[in-house]
Amino acid sequence: METRTLLIRYDEIGLKGRNRRHFENQLVKNIRFALNGIQNIKINKIHGRILGRMNLVDAEKCIAHLKYVPGISSISVGNSIEPDFDKIASLGINLIQEKLESLGQLKFCVRTRRSNKSFPVTSKEFDFEVGSRIMEALSFKGLSVDINRADFILEVEIGPQETIVFDNRVSGLCGLPVGSSGQVLSLLSGGIDSPVSTYKLMTRGCRVHSIFFDNRTFLGRGGYDKVVRLAKILNRYQGGGKLFVVPFEDIQVAIRDKCHDMNRVVLYRRMMYRIAQALAELNNCHGLVTGESVGQVASQTLKNLAAVSCVTPMSVFRPLIGMNKQEIIINAKNIGTYEISIENQPDCCSVFMPNHPTTRSKKKYLESDERLYPWEKLMTQALASVETINLDDLHATA
Amino acid sequence: MIYLDNAATTPITPKVMDVLKESLDSDFANPSAIYSIGLDARKLIECAKEDILVALNIPSTHKIIFTSGGSESNNLFIKGRCFPDKKVAYLGLEHPSIRETLEYLGSFGNDPFSMLEYQTEGRLDLNDVSILSDTRSKLLCLSHVNNELGTVNDPIAVYNALCAKAPDTRLFMDGVQAVGILKIFSDMWPGLSGYSLSAHKIHGPKGIGLLIYDSKLSLIPIIHGGHQQNGVRSGTPPVPLIRAMAKAISIASERIDEMQEHYKFLKNRLVQGLYELSDRIPELNIRLNSLEVDDLKRQSPSIVNFSFPPVEGEVLLHHLEAKDIFVGLGSACSANSKKPSKILMGIGLSEEEARCSLRISFSGNNTIKDIDIFLEEFSTAYKNLYPTFSKTTIEN
Repeated sequence: METRTLLIRYDEIGLKGRNRRHFENQLVKNIRFALNGIQNIKINKIHGRILGRMNLVDAEKCIAHLKYVPGISSISVGNSIEPDFDKIASLGINLIQEKLESLGQLKFCVRTRRSNKSFPVTSKEFDFEVGSRIMEALSFKGLSVDINRADFILEVEIGPQETIVFDNRVSGLCGLPVGSSGQVLSLLSGGIDSPVSTYKLMTRGCRVHSIFFDNRTFLGRGGYDKVVRLAKILNRYQGGGKLFVVPFEDIQVAIRDKCHDMNRVVLYRRMMYRIAQALAELNNCHGLVTGESVGQVASQTLKNLAAVSCVTPMSVFRPLIGMNKQEIIINAKNIGTYEISIENQPDCCSVFMPNHPTTRSKKKYLESDERLYPWEKLMTQALASVETINLDDLHATA
Repeated sequence: MIYLDNAATTPITPKVMDVLKESLDSDFANPSAIYSIGLDARKLIECAKEDILVALNIPSTHKIIFTSGGSESNNLFIKGRCFPDKKVAYLGLEHPSIRETLEYLGSFGNDPFSMLEYQTEGRLDLNDVSILSDTRSKLLCLSHVNNELGTVNDPIAVYNALCAKAPDTRLFMDGVQAVGILKIFSDMWPGLSGYSLSAHKIHGPKGIGLLIYDSKLSLIPIIHGGHQQNGVRSGTPPVPLIRAMAKAISIASERIDEMQEHYKFLKNRLVQGLYELSDRIPELNIRLNSLEVDDLKRQSPSIVNFSFPPVEGEVLLHHLEAKDIFVGLGSACSANSKKPSKILMGIGLSEEEARCSLRISFSGNNTIKDIDIFLEEFSTAYKNLYPTFSKTTIEN
């Protein structure tokens, strides 16, 4: 069976100091988890890089899986070959030709790395010899050399045991490997923003569990189904995620019936934060994540954000806080959550929405409203009825 | 499970399922192919077509085109006849596949003429059709049975009125909610330039429907391709779906007398039950949006739409869902789709009345017991929800 070599380059880990090994080990673990279904694959960490060896037929599949692993800057598939100029150039021509034909013109360069210093030709000389042979064959078809802005970099690694020629690099997600920064809990709704904020924390090395506040008695099961689908897509970037579904209708009804109309939305969110904090503590999560962005809706003014945050001593991470909607939408499209997020699904029944929500809530009025309904008792009841979904267990097509 | 949303769709009946399964298994050949099994498939389509012509009393002056369903049939006829600049009129209470198609024509400068101000009880007032002549409307689009209210525009009466007062206006009717509920008589066809129907509303499969139209008329196709169905609707005709639809139409036509009696019985029980609840529960006020009459020329017996402010229909629907009862909704209460039903608003309901409504629609599978259980669960849910919806909010 023909084999191929996978070269996985990492991103920020390279900047780490003495704790670099911790991040590298986590990334290797995540890569092994992502490639779990691929047979006869070997992943090793050698001299600050991660190398894999697998059957040729699995190469495309490996790349597809690794595109979902945070912490990787790029991936290349390599082919073992004799260190012979003509043979390497011939392989390079094959790799480049296909892309050249589809694009019409292409800038390329050869980059040789020589860890076997006893090899009689220097890296620069090697670049020249291979590059000129490729140019000879393809320059009339539109190929040109550009060392600084190449569209295609043909990489040659001359090692003590073997020489490998790598195809053009495929970009990874960058950031840090999931699990290297601990766990957080994200407040996930069916909207566009919260999946993006969840993803952002994943690329900072956090394993992100999600919490959804469900009011199916009033809104039906559609919102729940939508959030499960979103959580499943997001879990592809990390694995091991959980979704906690909290029944919220009793709390919403109580706030709606007992409290001041204008404060409702802030009061709902204060309860969401409290419940999220309790679940985060139970599940070893060290912060909450929300998709809030200053001024986007009435509940996201500076005063209201403060009025909500003050109910929890836990860190609240808001990675979208300074982003505009268009940037968030582009992110959501890249992650693959946008199309689901925009499906028309009621996320809040109009009976619970105030006509004139406050944009400047005051803590003393909120606290006095909270004395009008038994929030502690309702919170205990909600926490006792939480449904926990292990996202890894969901069927591939569910 | 109690399923009372048969105007949305119906389960496939066992006899239709048998035909569908058998045909999926055996009739795989392309009916356009010129070898024997292709010719056999074509023959099966012709047989199905004949069954449909007989069951619906369609005369030789009209031909039928198989489509993917009611929406495609409506699009094909309206665009095929009136794109880009033939003037079209409509009542304003039609299904979105008519309303939105007309808005699409409007985007080319061919604004449709709405007759909403000439509606009474959710039907076109025939005293006013001369306006169609004044506006030079070439086509009038109406629902035979309104999908939310069940109100009926009688094709013969409309056609007679058009002949007398607007002879240049042709009539197109959306029959999706009518077939299987109202009798389709042969004397209806001369007045109809086009008529659409869908199999899944009459216990047939989804993805198949019909456009029946006057064969003297030419239609510009929407789907271009292999020139199937005389080029009017390209695409390989789905033999199993066509055969299953023919079976569903035949069964619906055979059982129509029995079904009409059954629907009337269920409807009366439901309406009486709702009025009784209204008398018994002081805070419940039922407003019947459908007509109470037994006259099949004015109201379908299979659809009952009613309002019950201040409790929102969508919330009540989910409370009934929790009891395994499934009903229909004309309107949504969700915060992100605040627009209530255009049909209910169109007949003069307030926004609240439109939002606080449900549509119950029957099939032959429903029983009196279903209605009684529905009434009981409706009253329980209403009583539970009333305090939340009736409470005046505390304003700061």
